[in-house]
Amino acid sequence: MGIKMNYIPKLRLITIVLSIFIIQYTYAADDQCLSCHQGLDDKPSKLFIEDVHYKAGLSCSSCHGGNSNSDDMDLAMSKSNGFIGVPVSNSISEMCSKCHSDFDYMKKYNSNIHTNQFVKLKESVHGKLAVNGKGMMLQCITCHNAHGIKKANDPKSPVYPTNVPQTCNKCHGNATFMQSYNPAISVDQLTKYRTSVHGVLNSKGNIKVAECASCHGSHDIFSAKDVRSKVYKLNIPGTCSNCHSDKNYMKDFDIPTDQFAKYQNSVHGKAVFEKQDLSAPVCNDCHGNHGATPPGIESISKVCGSCHALNAELFSASPHKKAFDEKKYPECETCHGNHEILIAKDQLLGVDKGAICLKCHSENENQKGYLIAKEMKKLTDSLIVSDSIAKNMVFQAEQKGMDVEELKYKLREIHQARLEGRTIVHSFDEAKFKEVTTKGFKTSDTIITEAKAAVDEFYFRRYGLGVAVAVITFLIVMLFLYIKKIEKPKSL
Amino acid sequence: MEKKLKQIYEWVDNRVQLADLVKFMSKKYVPVHSRSIWYYFGGVSLFFFIIQVVTGILLLFYYKGSSDLAYESIRFTMSKVQFGWLIRSIHSWSANLFILSVFIHMFSVYFEKSYRNPREMTWVTGVIMFVLSLAFGFSGYLLPWNELAYFATKVGTDIVGAVPVVGDPLKYFLRGGDDVTGATLSRFFGFHVALFPGIFTFLLIVHLLLVQRQGMSEPMHLKNTAKEEKKTMPFFPNFMLRDLLLWLVVLNILAILAVFFPAELGLKADPLASAPAGIQPEWYFLFMFQTLKFLPAHVFFVEGEVLGVLLFGLAGVLWLLVPVWDRKSAKGQQNRLINYIGIFSVMFIIILTIIGWVLK
Repeated sequence: MGIKMNYIPKLRLITIVLSIFIIQYTYAADDQCLSCHQGLDDKPSKLFIEDVHYKAGLSCSSCHGGNSNSDDMDLAMSKSNGFIGVPVSNSISEMCSKCHSDFDYMKKYNSNIHTNQFVKLKESVHGKLAVNGKGMMLQCITCHNAHGIKKANDPKSPVYPTNVPQTCNKCHGNATFMQSYNPAISVDQLTKYRTSVHGVLNSKGNIKVAECASCHGSHDIFSAKDVRSKVYKLNIPGTCSNCHSDKNYMKDFDIPTDQFAKYQNSVHGKAVFEKQDLSAPVCNDCHGNHGATPPGIESISKVCGSCHALNAELFSASPHKKAFDEKKYPECETCHGNHEILIAKDQLLGVDKGAICLKCHSENENQKGYLIAKEMKKLTDSLIVSDSIAKNMVFQAEQKGMDVEELKYKLREIHQARLEGRTIVHSFDEAKFKEVTTKGFKTSDTIITEAKAAVDEFYFRRYGLGVAVAVITFLIVMLFLYIKKIEKPKSL
Repeated sequence: MEKKLKQIYEWVDNRVQLADLVKFMSKKYVPVHSRSIWYYFGGVSLFFFIIQVVTGILLLFYYKGSSDLAYESIRFTMSKVQFGWLIRSIHSWSANLFILSVFIHMFSVYFEKSYRNPREMTWVTGVIMFVLSLAFGFSGYLLPWNELAYFATKVGTDIVGAVPVVGDPLKYFLRGGDDVTGATLSRFFGFHVALFPGIFTFLLIVHLLLVQRQGMSEPMHLKNTAKEEKKTMPFFPNFMLRDLLLWLVVLNILAILAVFFPAELGLKADPLASAPAGIQPEWYFLFMFQTLKFLPAHVFFVEGEVLGVLLFGLAGVLWLLVPVWDRKSAKGQQNRLINYIGIFSVMFIIILTIIGWVLK
């Protein structure tokens, strides 16, 4: 009796499974549309039996309407039975969304698919009106196929990570097609992608590396100029860090995961996150986007030089270029770092504590560079002092109520000389550096002289007033006495 | 030296008969009494007007009356032209003191009832010159084309627009368009340096001729005093020398103010910028501005601002015509109502100006 009792749950399970199988088989067998079309040997019916929806028990009529139980073609495909034939344009996606936007319905299939895909698609750049003016430029079946739809984690699915680049490329690699929508977008993105680290690994079957949807999104793709886009300039660091800062996710790859943290602290990161500066570089400005690759030792100055053009040019013509190449030093990065590039302060220059030059130069080793760095720092410090004196003199004149607007404007020229000095320092040429600082010194001398003249003018006005008041008062007294004199009663 | 001067005098005298003028002036006597001090404010006002003309002409040498260059030309005058800062500061301070002096002069004449027969024309020309002085101030204030001036003019011309019927066309005429622009600056410049000085000079000549022709008005309480008991002083040289003495004192004050508190220029007007906080007109318009601010949005069915403008307009007309409706004073009788109205007006102007200044 005890043994029998143990068997009962197993029997029940077997009965349930068999029942489901039989019901499903019967149901499918009852799909007269499919059996008829299979007889015709057409492609949709061949694909449909592999379709995830077919396996879930849906029939042709679920999308095309009609009565799939009737073997009478006229009855099965009559309008009175709701037959709609082949849905076109937006009615395709609307048909999909009937189920896929219905949370309760999808729950029946234990689905974890989001039910807002259609809403997202309509809002996305792909949801805009197609050039034919009949509906959205992209429907669900454009990416997912129509009759042979597979789960996204099925390697045969067009939206499986390794297939996504090719799927997107169907349109994005077609120059004629893309010209109708956005001729500005290049159509060689897939080719570039295949040269990138991501693309190479993806083609080898690695599904963790970034493909199109990883960065651009899937249903919610926006133009890169749209602030909602994952690849909008200010959103890029966050998008890249989704994977690159995830230690667990990145454990298979031998690269650090602190780039985002470092970048946030850098001068570029602060410009992006604190000032919302769209001209500051984000990840793809140095690493590329579709052809994402870390810059090599020789290319760093070119990458940095795409913005800091003059600095890169000066560096390339400087004696450091050859020395760095020989020692395989990564050019700009050697002094400035990479992800955590801090503001290049004057303290980086020279031979004092904290100066970057001391890394390679000392009084005994590479002495020439040591002396040049020392002299450049001396000039820089002098210019800072001159700037400060000039500002102080202008402030004094302003405090006395003198008009110093022009001098204030000239003060910018000293600041400009200091900025130019920071650039010309990359030539590591003392004479060129001196030429720039001399401009600053001359301007500061002019400002100091003019500010002093303004202060002198202030005192001249005060003394001038004193003299004028004295003269006028003297005249007043004399006039007063004269009036007294002429009005004095004449003695008899 | 004395001989040389005498020769020059005789040379001129032979041609324009100066002796007749000197004879006329030396025969002219000014009454001396406890209120004689008020006589001097007419002369002080004249002195300020002369300073305005002289400094104004000097400023014209460098001023450029266009919205692109006005501000820069004044900055240039103040920073590059020798004593340019002084000339502008004196012009600015003298303008304010001129209006103050005109206020005092006008109220002293009012309280003394000196407008009564036969000096009605002197009063009318004087009141018109007072209004012109305010117009001088209003038009000159915009000329530096700075932020404060720009928005004050905007507010000021908006108030003009509140006048029923003629307000809008008048505002359009003043602005030279719908808004305060370079066109407004051009016409304000024209008003300030050509139209107003022309009219003012004509009225001033009439005013001075009338004063010389009719002499100084005597206070009413001296009417019954015997001629022998009345004190007088010769207009020339005694009164003129006293006038000159006061002018020198005023010049000293003006110099000190101009050096210690030089006129500021502020920021250049930017029509696209929002108005800075606490925009106010010049002090002499403040009592009117503050009154309009205190008035409710609607009084019965009339807009508060419209009512205020109409009331000020009516008060101005009554003020101008005081010699007409003050019949008692004309007959030599005491008219206390005139004193009460005068005291109310002075108190009203002072209190509202202080409130406007404090609530800035």
